[in-house]
Order: sequence, then C-alpha cells, then structure tokens
Amino acid sequence: MRTSRTLGIVMIAPAAIMIFLFYLMPAILTGIFAMTNMSTATGISGGVFQVTQGAVNRLGPDMPELASGIAEPRFVIDEEGLAALEALKLKPGYAAELRGQHIGEVFASRREAERVIKALKDRPSTREVKQISDLFNRSVLNTRFETRDALIGNLEKLGFRLKPEEQDKVARETYTGWVWTTDNFKVIANSPDMAKIFLNTAFYVAVTLMLFNVSYALFLAVTTHYMPPATASIFRAVWLLPRITPVVIYVLMWKWLTWDNGFISMFMGQFGVPPKNYLLDNAYNAWFFVILINGFIGASMGMLVFSSAIKAIPQTHFHASEVDGASRWQQIRYIILPQLRWPILFVTCYQTLSLLASFNEILLSTRGGPGRATEVWSLAAYHTALNNYTGNLEYGLGAALALMLVIIGVILSLIYLRIFRYDTLISKPLIED
Amino acid sequence: MADKTQTSANFSSVPVMLLLTLVSLPLVLMYAYLFIDTISNSEAGSLIPNELTLEHWRFLWETRPGKASIWLVTLNTFIFAGSITAVILIVSSMAGYVLSRLNVPARGLLLAGVMVLHAFPSVTLIISIFIVLQYVGLYNSLIGVILVKAAIDMPLGIWLMKGFYDTVPWEIEMAGLVDGASRFTVWRRLVLPQIKPAIMALGLFSFLTGWSEFILPQVLAPGSQVQVLSVYLASLIADDNNFDFATFKAVGVFYVVPVLVLYVFFQKHLMNIYGGGTKG
Repeated sequence: MRTSRTLGIVMIAPAAIMIFLFYLMPAILTGIFAMTNMSTATGISGGVFQVTQGAVNRLGPDMPELASGIAEPRFVIDEEGLAALEALKLKPGYAAELRGQHIGEVFASRREAERVIKALKDRPSTREVKQISDLFNRSVLNTRFETRDALIGNLEKLGFRLKPEEQDKVARETYTGWVWTTDNFKVIANSPDMAKIFLNTAFYVAVTLMLFNVSYALFLAVTTHYMPPATASIFRAVWLLPRITPVVIYVLMWKWLTWDNGFISMFMGQFGVPPKNYLLDNAYNAWFFVILINGFIGASMGMLVFSSAIKAIPQTHFHASEVDGASRWQQIRYIILPQLRWPILFVTCYQTLSLLASFNEILLSTRGGPGRATEVWSLAAYHTALNNYTGNLEYGLGAALALMLVIIGVILSLIYLRIFRYDTLISKPLIED
Repeated sequence: MADKTQTSANFSSVPVMLLLTLVSLPLVLMYAYLFIDTISNSEAGSLIPNELTLEHWRFLWETRPGKASIWLVTLNTFIFAGSITAVILIVSSMAGYVLSRLNVPARGLLLAGVMVLHAFPSVTLIISIFIVLQYVGLYNSLIGVILVKAAIDMPLGIWLMKGFYDTVPWEIEMAGLVDGASRFTVWRRLVLPQIKPAIMALGLFSFLTGWSEFILPQVLAPGSQVQVLSVYLASLIADDNNFDFATFKAVGVFYVVPVLVLYVFFQKHLMNIYGGGTKG
C-alpha cells in the first residue's frame, strides 16, 4: 500500500504543475518583462544590429562625425569587391590596377570612388564605372548585422576607429531587440498621465466599494431580511442577475440604456430632449455609469455574505428587542451592524482587490473614454501592452504596470490571510501512515 | 424569519419594498427589453413594440461575410466551457483532498499559497501569458486558452473542495482502511460520493464562468476559427458598419439563455459559491 505521502504528492501534482505554469511563472515573468523595454518594435526573441535612420539621428548629437559618416554611402576597395569584379569578366586590367594601386582606400561618396575608377588606365565606359563602383559599395545604412562584432568590424573597415565606450554606444543605439532597463518605472513615476490614471483608479475603487459593494449590499441584505421570504428571494435573485450574466451582454444592456438610440434618449425624447450618448458625452456621466455598471455586479457578493451573517444572528435577539420597543433603526444599529463587522471587513478587502483588477466592464462600456477620463490602472496595462491605436504594443511598460497590481494583490492577500486567521483552517490529519 | 416579520406589528415592510422595487427597476427593464427587442420591431422613437418579427434571429441561419458561423462559435464555446469544467473538477478534487486530509510536506504553506492565489488579480498576468503562449505556439488555439482559464480558476476550486472534504467524517475513511482499502480507493469509492453536491456546484460554476469568460479568449484566441460566443458578440458590437441593436440582443439572448436556465434550476448550488465569488 502506498503511503499517504506519495499518494498525496501524486494527487496534488497536476494542480501544482498547472498553477506553476500558468500562475507562478507568468507572475515571475511579469516581473522580468517589467525590467525590459520589450514592445512590438523590439520583438520578444532578441534582435539584430541595424543602422537605421533613427539610430543615426540618435547618434548625431554625441558623434556627429560618425553619424554623418554612416548615413552616407561608403566605398571601399577590398578583396571581396575585387573578387566580384573578376567574376564579372570585364577587362582584367581593372581588377589588377585597383588591387595594385588602390587597395584599402575608402571613399566617402560614390562620386569620389567613380572618379578613381574612371581614371583607370583601361578607361572603363560610363556603364562599367557604375557597375564596378556598385561592387565596392560598403554602406552600413539599413544593413542588418547578426552580431555586435560584425557591426563594429564593418565600421572599422569603413575607417571608423571607435573607442570601447563609443562602440558600446553605437551598439546600444543600433540594436533592434529588447534590452534590460528600469525606464518603465521612471515613466510610471514621472508621467502626468500615470498620475491621472492612479487618481482615476483610487476614485473608482473607493467610490464603487463604499457606495455599492458595502453600503448598497448592506442595504439589500438588511431590507430583504425584514421581508417575507418569498419576496426576499425574488429581490435577491434579481440582484444576482448582474453577476451571473456574461459581461458582454450585461454591458450591452447598459449600452442600450445609455446610447443615443437607447432607452434614456428615447424616454427623454418624449419630453423633447434631443437624444445623446449618455455614456460617453462627458466625463461625469461616464464615471456615473461606470460606477453603476460595476457597482451592480459588486453589490451581490456583499448581499450574500451579509445576508448569511444576519441569518446567523439568533432570532431571540430580535424578539427581545421588539419586546423592549426597539425601532427598526435601533435593531439595525445595535444588533445587526455589530455582528457584521468582520463580514464588512472581509468584503472590503476582497472587493478592493477584485475592483483593482477588473477592467472588463470598463473596457466594454467606455474603453476608458471619453478621452482617457475613465482609464483605470489595469485597463491602462491592457491598453499599453495588448491593444492600442498606435499599434506599438509596449509589453515591458504594460508588464511594469501589471507588476504594481501583482504586488498590491500579494500584500493585500497576505494582510487578510493574517486578519482572518486562515492558519486555523488547517487541521492535522487524523490518519497517519 | 417570516414568523418574526409577522410579530412585528409596529412596522410595515411595504415602504421598503417600494423603495427596493424602484432601485431594481433599471435592471428589470434592461432584462425585459433584452428579450422584447429580439422578437419585435417598434417605430423610431417609440418604446412600445408594434409588430412581432423573427428577422433579428437571422444570424442563426445566415452567416455574415467575414464572420464565423454561429454554430461553430457555439460549438467552440461548449468545448471551451466543458473542457474547463472537466479539468477543474478532476484536478481540484484531487488537490483539495490532499490539502484536506493527506499528510504531505508543507501542507499549510500550500494552502496559504492557494489562498493568496485565489485572491490574486489574475488578469494582471495576461500580458506575460500572452507572450508565453505566443512563444510556445499555443496562441490562437483553444487548448492554450482552456489551460490558462482552468489554471486561473483552479485556486478557488481547490479551496472549495478542501472546505467540502473537511466536512466528511473521518470515521468513513477509517472504516474503509480497516477493511483493507488503500487511501486511494477510500478517496475514490468512499469520500468522493460524499461530496457530490460540491462537485455539482463547482462543475456548474466552472461551466458558467467558462461560458461567460471574455477577456482571456479575446486576448489569447481571437481568431475566427476558435472564437467563443463572448468574443463573437463583442466583435459584432464593435463593428461600426453593421450597427443593429436588435441583432446584438438576439445573439445576446442566444448566448445568455443557457446561463439563465442553469441559474434558475441550480440556484441553491450556485448561491454558495457566488457568496465568495471572484468577480468584481
């Protein structure tokens, strides 16, 4: 018989592997990607060295000579070119004379190279001059080099003797792949856009949480508590609908309510108000509806948690208070609320995290608009890394944004592991083998 | 509770009920019109329908150019939600048992780890998952997104199963062991049947979240051959050239009806889980 230890390891292995592959690894990778400048432009698998016009422009201020040099075509009389010339089967004198007189010479422009070729003793025709000069064209602009050495070697052939630190700079500016960097965090810390998004997120989470996930959920739980059971269950079922409805349809219904050919517009139309898009016409309305859309979903969890907590209060408390002439308000204030301290704390912690991470509803309803008025942190991460109008998806910056949420998530959940004492939930196995 | 409500003659619950009805009205209206608009037409600017029609349901037998057939999409959605359910049930019923009953090293740590993950903003991992799937070649395939979705819902499943296993009396297992069964047989033959309601609840819940999932398939499998209903509907709505609310709603009803049916029939099972649910 296998011991429980090996059986345990075998049985938990599938879960451990899946969680490792799709949870821990992505979390770690998020941290790694956050330290890079990966984007659509750099690709994800590494790059090459390429002297683009952009790289030339970046090199310009520090190394004007080099920058103007590599931007121009360069002509070098070298063995490679001579071999190609011999293969062309023109007059043998061309190659021989070039090898004898001009080998190793570098010309900064086509004109200078062609002047030398034209002056050859065998007098090449204009067409041949062009043909020959092409063979010696060694310009680096827009040529791809697989390694750094190849790039530096080519630059040396062109007559650029670079100091090591200059080589570093050239290599850095011409590399097309991703590199390690902490710039993402500097961007997040310094950009005014990010500050705005941070404030948006704080506002969105705080207001939705307080108004709906806690207050309104409490209101629902208390009011349905004082109703006949049948009525109460109808209201609870209605308020659970937003949670079970797939998010795409749920938001579609809100769009129908708020768009310019939707319910509110038509209803107001009866009173002569021209139709407009109530969801997106200004930032206040957008926030109003974003909070309603999320709040309606969030209210149901609190409602269920608080309802079951109220149900756990002994009925005798209520009976006794009624005999003493307590009002409903006094019952709520002195019997129900004190019992709900922990459930409220739990819902607050839990929903803070859910709200921080939820962007489905905002993405589908306002897409962060109008402008970027309702852009929140997680949506910004999504927009930055996975979907934006400019087409350059900045995985690195997006991962850095997501990493912030990951860190906040871990901290919050560790805190509530402590507060709610989950360690007490682990009992020792009674069968030891 | 009903008893108590009656004894309190001092208070009437009618005003509260009216208030609650009033705030519930937008929700009820939205759902009512979701169904009404799919089978009727109304004059421009009017909210009262004036004719019945089935034209909004055309999408069932006509495939729009450039769009996948609704039946392929529905099949995909069934495969997606069904596979997620199967994976979550099998894997978390095993792992939950281990965490609840078996003597494995670092059990407490594992459970705390699962708890942390359960509360984790999983969507924040989507960027690195996207890059990883592209790298290993599972991008734009149902398998990739099924594995990811199942793994993300796994901590909740394990946690729930562990809770249910905790309620099974030890005596059942001890009796099995005394009769010479192995721990595995005990689990398979004696313990699993005890937690059928939990399996039922978790299965339903997994199916519904799989059915409703939007952002993962949208990002990880957007191709028309592997589209699921949520992505299909979202792409219809996002298409500015064919703006037609009634058709959107018809597709929406087609998509939401299985959810509502399951919800109506299995409300009790689901209430347990949604009480500690994972959505915002």
